Amino acid sequence: MEITAGYLPEMNNETIEYREIIYSYNGLTAKVKVPQLSPQQLSKIMSIVKANAHILKSFSVSELVAIIDQAIHILLDRQSKQRRLAETWLPIITGYDQEIIRTGLTTFLQRFRKHELQRFLVEDFGNPQLLDDFQPLVKGGYSKAVGADVTGHIWAGNVPGLPLWSFISALLVKSGSVGKTASEEPLFAGLFADILAEVEPKIKNCFAIVTWKGGDEEREALFFEGCETIIAYGSDQSLASIKQRVPVTSKLISHGHKISFSIIGKESLHMQKAVETSHLAALDLIRYDQQGCYSPQAIFVQKGGLITPGEFAKYLAHELSALEIRFPRRELSIEESASFIRNQQREEMSLFAEENKEIISDENGRWIVIYKDHSSEFLPSVLNRSIQVFAFDEIDEVLEKIKHYKKWLQTAGMSTSPENVFLWSQKLSLHGVTRMTGIGRMTSPEAGWHQDGGFSLADLVKMTDIEASTLELAEPLSAYSN
Amino acid sequence: MTQKELIASIQQFIHDEHSHDFNELALQLFRYQFEHNLPFQRFSKQKRKTPRNVKNWRDIPSVPIQAFKDVPLSCISTEQAEATFMTSGTTKHIKGKHYHPTLTVFDSSMITNFKKRFMKEQKAIKMGILFPDHEEMPNSSLARYLFLAKAFFGTPESKYTLSGNGINFELLLEELKTAQQSGEAYALLGASFSFVHLIDYLQEKQLYFKLPKGSRILDTGGYKNQSRHVETGEFYTALKTHLGIEKSDCINMYGMTELSTQFYDDGNEEIPSVKSGPHWIRTRVINPLTGLDMPFGENGVLVHYDLANFNSALSILTEDLGVETDKGFQLLGRVQGSEQKGCSLAVDEFLRYAKEES
Repeated sequence: MEITAGYLPEMNNETIEYREIIYSYNGLTAKVKVPQLSPQQLSKIMSIVKANAHILKSFSVSELVAIIDQAIHILLDRQSKQRRLAETWLPIITGYDQEIIRTGLTTFLQRFRKHELQRFLVEDFGNPQLLDDFQPLVKGGYSKAVGADVTGHIWAGNVPGLPLWSFISALLVKSGSVGKTASEEPLFAGLFADILAEVEPKIKNCFAIVTWKGGDEEREALFFEGCETIIAYGSDQSLASIKQRVPVTSKLISHGHKISFSIIGKESLHMQKAVETSHLAALDLIRYDQQGCYSPQAIFVQKGGLITPGEFAKYLAHELSALEIRFPRRELSIEESASFIRNQQREEMSLFAEENKEIISDENGRWIVIYKDHSSEFLPSVLNRSIQVFAFDEIDEVLEKIKHYKKWLQTAGMSTSPENVFLWSQKLSLHGVTRMTGIGRMTSPEAGWHQDGGFSLADLVKMTDIEASTLELAEPLSAYSN
Repeated sequence: MTQKELIASIQQFIHDEHSHDFNELALQLFRYQFEHNLPFQRFSKQKRKTPRNVKNWRDIPSVPIQAFKDVPLSCISTEQAEATFMTSGTTKHIKGKHYHPTLTVFDSSMITNFKKRFMKEQKAIKMGILFPDHEEMPNSSLARYLFLAKAFFGTPESKYTLSGNGINFELLLEELKTAQQSGEAYALLGASFSFVHLIDYLQEKQLYFKLPKGSRILDTGGYKNQSRHVETGEFYTALKTHLGIEKSDCINMYGMTELSTQFYDDGNEEIPSVKSGPHWIRTRVINPLTGLDMPFGENGVLVHYDLANFNSALSILTEDLGVETDKGFQLLGRVQGSEQKGCSLAVDEFLRYAKEES
């Protein structure tokens, strides 16, 4: 099987070279051809997108919402050609189970339907017409939100669909986009660009989805130079390298790797509730095998419920074992396998020293639950369905364990009483957590979420003001002035 | 079985392959370690492996090398050890410790195997040792190893040509010149990174030797953090260019602080070379997740079963990637920390940051 990824605007008489990336999964092999642009060609593409930015700006924000909504519905339609492509290719490329991808894509794409996009806009702007025209301000004067001509995206990782967050955000603020895909998943962004161009041919030259080897200084210098705003995803290390090279006049928004966790209050540990709670918690961690920034790396379980935290760990192990049959884990490379087992063996070796620790694991290394009492330290997980369960009495014990990770924290999945939701959120917010959600929902953030504490849309525009004095001075100058 | 009896059996086995059965001796050793090393016992029980149900050496639980850093892996009180070998570990300066109640087994394992694989039954050769002596580095298993090589197989004129201050180039050049003129075979032994320093020096000074026939080299270990990185092929080519020693006479030894037995190749004409060990150590190439053997010819992680590891753990899960061949295995380097797939901060990446900061 062979497919061409990426999306290029119209370029006259250019010969584009393609590089092949081979993926294999479950005995299936996929050959993905990604455009390999010369620095000159990349430069040319940047200019084309920039030159066409005015076309996006000529659409009203509601017209753009309608275009995106139409494109999303094509992807939601399981019979559409594009949806079938995504369902066929993404499992091979990313290695995630077909069912996980199918259900994950649908949940994910629903976030971008018209009514959700409208919420997204209202969330950041209050009045979305700010994007179309100058709007009156309460303090006097007028403001307009202006998106960049070109927003650059550097995507990373293999969680399918993630590039859509920033791509759609840029479109909503009427900004052209040049996106660099990751070799772990080079397909989906280009596929979406194709659909957009099909839905509204007028905007076909307003974006490009390309790729190059991360760290390629020549191409990246051209890219950074050509973008007013850059949204970059990746490890702290690669983001630090990008930060050094982005010109001061460009805006860099970076999303590094994150740590998320769940907290389960004793209220949700009644006999019947506990089964449901453990099921939801297990779902959060089998979805994309904990690879998402919002995926839980540890579960803190409160003592004092009918089910003890130790028993909860067993419930969780049971759920993981059952879910493994329906949604098997991605096949791991030798490196990942070795890492997974090294971690397991290390935990097993310390059982002697840490008496209250318990380890429940699958004999073929497909998942592991490590139960630790409150005295143990929390270290990030090795992922791929490796979860640590910690017992706690008071929320402060949780805070104590996460405090070293403040700069990396993101989502806290919760299952507790409304009173605790606010009490705990208050404290967690001071420790760096930027998103609270119900357990079972950790991997599907709501439309309009503040990813890593930022504004998805508002951060992409320049607010442009007409101060009241401008009009005061202008009034007497009108032709019809008395 | 008491420690004394076990040592006697192992010694006997090292000297005579037919004196014992590998499997039986391995199971006896497992029983002994299970009984006398409580952290190992707890570990084995967690894996539901006990002397009752383990009937084959392949089923003996493998201890990850990391465990040598985390817990005392010893069947005797660690204060009673005659020698404690330590890894050069860098993470947070925690070193793996391998306790040897007596060095007799380590010594006979080294001597018997070295004689066969490096000396090729030759009685003695003049040696230059590119490594500090064992008194300077009492916790280095390599220092012990090289000390034994020189003491048992080096002619009386053999010398250490490196000390804490680095390579003594003046002395070494003198030794090389003498060897070249005398026509007497010469052996240079030491850590691979010291050879890189030597190559750099000889390159800079444009010095070329043609050491006499029968001369040879033994290098071991990697270059990590100690010298620049050199590709294996380039490394042996440079040794040939500057010292005149054929690649087939350059032997690479693969050993670990956590083991008491070493592996050798038969020269480095072809790389990666094939490594093999003596009859008292066995190696499997496994899928780390399942612990099952990889199909022949496919890459996996190496597990060694070393009967000379009588006091620590006889089965060691390494972090080395390898592939089985007809005559042994090829070493393909370290299993790197896994590459990040998604956008979650995994422990491998976190530890890298922690290491950089420390």
